[in-house]
Amino acid sequence: MTSEEFNVELYWSAIEIANGLLTGSVIGGYYAMISIGLAMTFGVMRLVNLAHGDFIIVGAYISVVLLNFLPISPFFTLIIVVPIMFCIGYFLQRVLLNHVSVQAMERKGLSSNYGLMAPILVTFGLGIFISHLLLGIFDSDARQLTNSLAFSAIRLSDDLNISLLRFIFFGIGIVILIVLHLYLNKTHAGRAIRAASDDADISPLMGINTAHVYGIALGISMAIAGAAGVMIGMIRTFQPFDGPQFLLIAFGAVIIGGLGSVVGSLVGGILLGITQVLAGTYFGPSAQLVGGYMLILFVLAFKPTGLFSR
Amino acid sequence: MSISESKQGFFAEPGRDGKRPLLTISGLSAYYGELRALYDLEFQVMPGELLAIIGANGAGKSTMLKSMVGMMNRGKTAHITGTIDMRGRRLERLTTEKIVDAGVTMVPEGRRLFPRLTVEENLLTGAYLARCREKMNDNLEGIYDMFPRLAERRKQVVNLMSGGEQQMVAIGRALMSEPKVVLFDELSLGLAPAVVDGIYEKVKQINAAGVTCIVIEQDMKRALRVSNHVLVLLEGAVVLEGNPNNLDQDQVTAAYFGSDNERTGI
Repeated sequence: MTSEEFNVELYWSAIEIANGLLTGSVIGGYYAMISIGLAMTFGVMRLVNLAHGDFIIVGAYISVVLLNFLPISPFFTLIIVVPIMFCIGYFLQRVLLNHVSVQAMERKGLSSNYGLMAPILVTFGLGIFISHLLLGIFDSDARQLTNSLAFSAIRLSDDLNISLLRFIFFGIGIVILIVLHLYLNKTHAGRAIRAASDDADISPLMGINTAHVYGIALGISMAIAGAAGVMIGMIRTFQPFDGPQFLLIAFGAVIIGGLGSVVGSLVGGILLGITQVLAGTYFGPSAQLVGGYMLILFVLAFKPTGLFSR
Repeated sequence: MSISESKQGFFAEPGRDGKRPLLTISGLSAYYGELRALYDLEFQVMPGELLAIIGANGAGKSTMLKSMVGMMNRGKTAHITGTIDMRGRRLERLTTEKIVDAGVTMVPEGRRLFPRLTVEENLLTGAYLARCREKMNDNLEGIYDMFPRLAERRKQVVNLMSGGEQQMVAIGRALMSEPKVVLFDELSLGLAPAVVDGIYEKVKQINAAGVTCIVIEQDMKRALRVSNHVLVLLEGAVVLEGNPNNLDQDQVTAAYFGSDNERTGI
């Protein structure tokens, strides 16, 4: 082996690793967006929203509908998708989920265990309902939100590129997480959400209406999920039954990062993204998912509360 | 303008006779499921007074305070009957957050702070109501004046603080809602005697500023010393009521335990 050959090999493995880290990080940005809503609803109302992935797809389909009427870039549909998703989340919580919560079960004289189990079953059913509803309306054809940037890339060197769209989404994801963090820490409504999350029985003594606060929390969760759905639709195709795979990613990022911290979701998402891309690079595309799940298993085995839990 | 300045000397001479009550409680009963905890309570709370409620464990003191802030309205788990009238407003029909908006709040037993929030964030959640936000920063400074210890620790997460400091935060958080009436549930529970003295100094200071205070206190002597009206509860009913200056110790002890000399309640 000549020294020149050795250097080429080293160069390519460096490129592979750099590519894995870059692409993984960028993917992690949108994994974080997928997972933050799930982490938030669990943190605030102990709600495991099994329909979370399906709502991400709903966001993408709302954008499809809008693009039928409006000749605009899918980016601008976010302006409409996000408020619609917020309202869906708010009313879903007020009309449906608040009536099966721990507090609601207690008012009915039932054990609070019902209040932990019932929302899981309700959201599980809701997920099935939503995916079939989407199937009924849109058929099973794979859709995509076509846009001019889909094939653009940022060139970092001759052999190192990242997708421009993914990079933009990473940026948007970071901005959303920062805004969410500021909202939770600096506003009255945000503090009320955190207070209700810490002690729902006492927060009414602060004048906090927990039913309303829970509605806002699910609204925010859905709004971010909808935004993530639009971004996913611009990168890849989607079908009515794609929700659960995003739910798994969300659970993965939440498990790795730990519940209840915005930073945790971001780091969890990025670690998951990097692991998947590197596993895919070294062991073939089929190893992508396995690699991600291995990481989740390791975290569960050695730090079950997540890397960033408090 | 701080809380203490704004209401200074509003009611210099607390008393019952000839004054219009702030709260009129009549026929108040409370139930946990089928179990009855309060039996037709009748009493009045005068504006500006410091009312102490004493009674043995299980006499219904905490249940009474919870009833007054809507925390016993829990469907089949707990409910109340009777009326709680605050100058024409029927508090028993309101939710807890509406009662707090009407000006009655509680410092709950065991402090119940929001453990992952800082001292300042805990205090600010107390000012969540729209009517409290305008003077929020002034009130916050007023509370830091009252409890300088909290000003030093405003960025600290509360679950790392001592019991006395946590009680200060709980009191400050209640005051942030600009209340007319504050209910203190088991103020001295789990605190060192020296700390309790300090806390009661602050309660008297709050009361002197015109805020009506209702205190649950296990220590009978302390209750008689600090208050200007006393209620003794026994097995869910009021058995003795009066001005502590006009009550003698034996009378109160008898009411507390339910018989002249024998201890029955413990």
